[in-house]
Amino acid sequence: MGKQVAMVIDLNKCIGCQACTAACKSLWTDEEGQESMLWNNVETKPGPGYPKNWEEKGERSGWKDGVLQYGGLHPDEDFGGEKLLNHGAAYFEGTADRLQQEEPMGYGANWDEDTSSGDYPNNYHFYLPRLCNHCTKPACLEACPVRAIYKREQDGIVLVDQDKCQGIRLCNQACPYDKVYFNYIQNKSQKCIFCFPRVEQGVAPACARQCPGRLRFVGYLEDAGPIAKLVYEWKVALPLHPEFGTEPNVFYVPPILPPSFDEEGRFSDEPRVPMDYLRYLFGPEVDQSLITIMEEMERKQQGKESELMDLLIARDWKSLFNIPDVRVA
Amino acid sequence: MTEFTADRREFVLGGSALAAGLSLKYASPVEAQSGQVYGAWEDVMRGKWTWDKVVRGSRGLNCTGHCAMNVYVKNGIVWREEQQGEYGRSGDDTPDYGPRGCQKGLRHSKYMYGRQRVLYPMKRTGERGSGQWERVSWDQACDEIADKFIDYAIEHGPESITIAMGTQMTLKRASFGSLFRFANLTGIMVPETFAGVGDLPVGAYQVLGYELPGDNMAAVFKSKVCLVWACNPAATRIPDAHFFWEARYNGTDVVVISPDFNGSSLHASRWLNPKPGTDAALAMAMAQVIMEDRSIEWDYVREQTDLPFLVRTDNRKFLRGSDVDPESDGGDKRFYIWDEASNQAALAPATGFGETAGRGLELETDQTIALGALKPALEGRWTVETASGPVEVTTVFELLKTQLQAYTPERVQEETGVHADNIRSVARSFATAKPGMIFAGYRMNKWLHGDLLLRGCLLMCALTGNTGRAGGGLQTTQLPNADGLLAYAFNGVGPRLKVAATSLWDYAHGEGADLNRRMYGDNYAEYIDKHHSEAIDRRWIPDYAKTPWKMGFMAGHNPGNWRAGGEGWRESAMLALETIVTLTPNMSVTAMFSDYVLPIADHYERQDYVMEGRTPYAQVMDAAVPPLGESLDDWGAFERLTAAISKRAIERGIAPVEDQIFGQPISHDYTKVNAIYKSLTRKDGSQLKVSGTGDVAQFMIEHSKGLSKVSYKKLQRDGFVRVDDSADVQFGKGSNYSHYVLDSVTDKKPYSTLTGRQQFYMDHDWFLQEGEGLPTYRPPKSLDGFGLRLTMGHARHGVHSMYRDDSLMVSLQRGEPDVFVNPDDAASRQVADGDLIRVYNSYGEFVAQAHVSSNTQPGSLFMYHGWDPMMFRGRENFSSVISTGSLVKPVQLVGGYGHISYRTPNNVPNQTYHDSTCEFEKYVEA
Repeated sequence: MGKQVAMVIDLNKCIGCQACTAACKSLWTDEEGQESMLWNNVETKPGPGYPKNWEEKGERSGWKDGVLQYGGLHPDEDFGGEKLLNHGAAYFEGTADRLQQEEPMGYGANWDEDTSSGDYPNNYHFYLPRLCNHCTKPACLEACPVRAIYKREQDGIVLVDQDKCQGIRLCNQACPYDKVYFNYIQNKSQKCIFCFPRVEQGVAPACARQCPGRLRFVGYLEDAGPIAKLVYEWKVALPLHPEFGTEPNVFYVPPILPPSFDEEGRFSDEPRVPMDYLRYLFGPEVDQSLITIMEEMERKQQGKESELMDLLIARDWKSLFNIPDVRVA
Repeated sequence: MTEFTADRREFVLGGSALAAGLSLKYASPVEAQSGQVYGAWEDVMRGKWTWDKVVRGSRGLNCTGHCAMNVYVKNGIVWREEQQGEYGRSGDDTPDYGPRGCQKGLRHSKYMYGRQRVLYPMKRTGERGSGQWERVSWDQACDEIADKFIDYAIEHGPESITIAMGTQMTLKRASFGSLFRFANLTGIMVPETFAGVGDLPVGAYQVLGYELPGDNMAAVFKSKVCLVWACNPAATRIPDAHFFWEARYNGTDVVVISPDFNGSSLHASRWLNPKPGTDAALAMAMAQVIMEDRSIEWDYVREQTDLPFLVRTDNRKFLRGSDVDPESDGGDKRFYIWDEASNQAALAPATGFGETAGRGLELETDQTIALGALKPALEGRWTVETASGPVEVTTVFELLKTQLQAYTPERVQEETGVHADNIRSVARSFATAKPGMIFAGYRMNKWLHGDLLLRGCLLMCALTGNTGRAGGGLQTTQLPNADGLLAYAFNGVGPRLKVAATSLWDYAHGEGADLNRRMYGDNYAEYIDKHHSEAIDRRWIPDYAKTPWKMGFMAGHNPGNWRAGGEGWRESAMLALETIVTLTPNMSVTAMFSDYVLPIADHYERQDYVMEGRTPYAQVMDAAVPPLGESLDDWGAFERLTAAISKRAIERGIAPVEDQIFGQPISHDYTKVNAIYKSLTRKDGSQLKVSGTGDVAQFMIEHSKGLSKVSYKKLQRDGFVRVDDSADVQFGKGSNYSHYVLDSVTDKKPYSTLTGRQQFYMDHDWFLQEGEGLPTYRPPKSLDGFGLRLTMGHARHGVHSMYRDDSLMVSLQRGEPDVFVNPDDAASRQVADGDLIRVYNSYGEFVAQAHVSSNTQPGSLFMYHGWDPMMFRGRENFSSVISTGSLVKPVQLVGGYGHISYRTPNNVPNQTYHDSTCEFEKYVEA
């Protein structure tokens, strides 16, 4: 029986820098036809995200009572996409007064960066990196009428076979996370490949290995290591929108923001992010996850040991990547 | 096939029962999909992750990142870069430095091929700024520039020509050195840009005699309380930010102090949100709490600070040796303490040895500030006998206690908006959870009274004994020592470098007092101008009005973007230049308004090395591909320019140009400048003929303490090497970084200040007249009739003005410059998210997109800086509402007061950027 590769993303360390986005883009999606494609993106939450309002579509997609749902397709403008600037006209030809995008974007993958919810100073927001969840029950795979999508036996990576894909786009409709994209030049659906050529050689995916925030753990669910500890032992890493039913293999350590203020402006015990919102994102398990993290943080504040905190601190950068034969890329 | 697809689609969508049945596919893919053969296409993807060669590289720009990259070359072009990553640690318990990097760095492989690149020399043909160019050869460009250079140097003196080095290149050590060498050999002026951008931590210099106290980034992890103040590491220190959140997990109280709820606030243990510009009041209140609680490291304060020094109550001046014995040698620099052991006034040790040595030089004294048998009193009043009779004296500590009484948390709550209980709580955490650190953003210094904020912060650190403690104290930055750079720049002719403070340069060459008159009223303008003139008369500062400004070299420098005043500065100062030569890889507003634009090689096309104290590593830059187009690296460009200058000087029969440096006559023989530029004498006396920047790098490494065992070849091979004596979070004496604060804290050498101590009391007349003798708070200045404060910060998706026009970076923002406004402020002006707004005041205006977010404090706007004016309507960016271009404060003009004197680059008047206010309204495009 093969293993399932997984990633744990610690939201208490994510600074929304988009290094993962840039790393992924340079490596895999820098060709014509892929301008609006970010296999990996980072969005501000709460917020409409990328593509715009994907969670609304997500509720109409994925699995409901064992039945696959098709949520429809987003219009192109929900993706934004990389647009070139008029450098030639503005700088070298003297024909434009202003340097600007040749075609102005009305929305983009990070349009609502730092757009906070709630009222100042008790507002709240945080950053959520997203990639294909390489689900245990992938909706995209199920949806594909030509069986172009498959889940690899050896590592559980879900791939769109580019030789077989016919650009039918039902996978795009079915994926509740909107993590399958469409290449309009090649007429193919394309998505995150969990950097399998790297993983096969023991090198972590680019979004994880190139993350300066050291917040992405990579490994196999079946192996002893940080992933298993965080997901199964400490139970602090949770899937995003578990109700979508696809059983994601990307997990998140939920965010703990600084305390809010009471009406007079004193530090208050009221959590800054409403618990209902975190439950909406990560399901009911999030309550216990946050309690565990806060209890362990408190142990450290009291000078005591904490295995969980040491795991999350990850003093040794390479300890994040528990895949065989790690070598320097 | 189409038919089949349609059927299939109907089939799947039509029958839910069938669809449910199909769901078994995922359960056992191989079985369910039998007959399908997958994987042949996988080889295509495997084939994509291949390359022809890997070169070690980095980006040598002023982001303080110096991240180690493997640069992958495929088919002769740079394909992508990836972090080398495998760094070590500073001390056993800290996280390692891996992997370092950011989105801009990971984008460079694409940006370097972007359409903003300058690929060949260009000469302006239309009006300045018109974007009309003629492609010229290097020879033509250099010959024409050389002739103008010689003309100005002869007619107006070499100082009428400037060379300014910008953030594009200041961290490339050897290239930076080459530009200094050019300036040193030719006698032209270097306007410094550190204080010029308002970043110089003047307050730290005033207190410590050293402006850049700081350890490496791992020190953050060692702190037990860390005040991240006026700093947003989540956006501006991306490779280092992890240390803060890892520290939080490790039990550190990470307190972010910022008006806006930024990317760092959301990861803080706690967030304090003072009104913009009131931070110094907050620091004073925390000092007040520490004082009231008496959470004081008494022995540290007695030994390390001037707080026990005696002050006369009659005239508020230090009691000096000259008061007691007017004939005594150096008596005006001798100070007293009250010795409790002998119950009498006693000379403080290690004072009075004369002129202080200045930062970076070994203090030539064997004196020690160790107290021995002395026990200085901190509290009390006594009478001492002076030459003119008995006078009452007290201590700086007593004055400070009185001073702090005005800063109770309750009072400061009114000024800052931060609740008194929160001030107390954070102050007590800072005083008790040792080590306590203040991680200071450069933005502190951009306020007119930013020096007072740093004095307040250092007071908090001193009272709690944190300055000099591993994991504690005020953290600004650490720059490598200048030994290698100066050995190279001065080689052959000795030190002749002329460096000017940009604030004073602009006061003389920009709008000067007129600007202050228009913005801040006649009285205030006259007040500043009077002090400016008096400081010149007293020879405390130079008079740059006497130096005409004719020609400017802008080397990786984009002042048209950021200089306070924006278009106002561009019109009044920059465009008044007769000749502007910009040397740059990329176009910008400054290049656009230049007469010549010379193409410079970008980071992966050149050799150099980079060092910055955030990590203990020296980092190589190696050439992965040849320079694009006709570009040259900086050393090469100035080799061409010096060759042209020498050639034309010979052809024109130019005699050596007479000049002066440090009051001594010198001359510049331009016929020889190229020959000297290219030859170096090593410390062993051997000659080196320089053929490229790699040779310069090797020479500088050889002449840099702490790097002596490294060769440039080794750097090329390994990517980075650890500097010597850097095992822990603080740099050791044998490293190539300053050991200055530790010299005093651990080795008890006197500080390079007037008092030889961390000096909190300034008894100079101008300080006393300004009410700034002791740390204090002065509110920020406003423009009459404008109530909103525009606060700014280093960009997340750019490095200064660089990468701001990268197509991906722009698309990961809003496609055009945006400015954050609070929803209430927006609503009251009928502005919705995404609307264009006109931000304006009595000085100017700019238009940008409103980004409505409740992370922004009501009454303020926030904008990331660096957006180029070229990206704005009318080519006016945020600088156009920054009315502070001539705001200098009197105490920063003071000279002749021990260490307080005009000393480029360590202590000069900071350029002010923040003391302005504005308003905004909805903008409808015509």
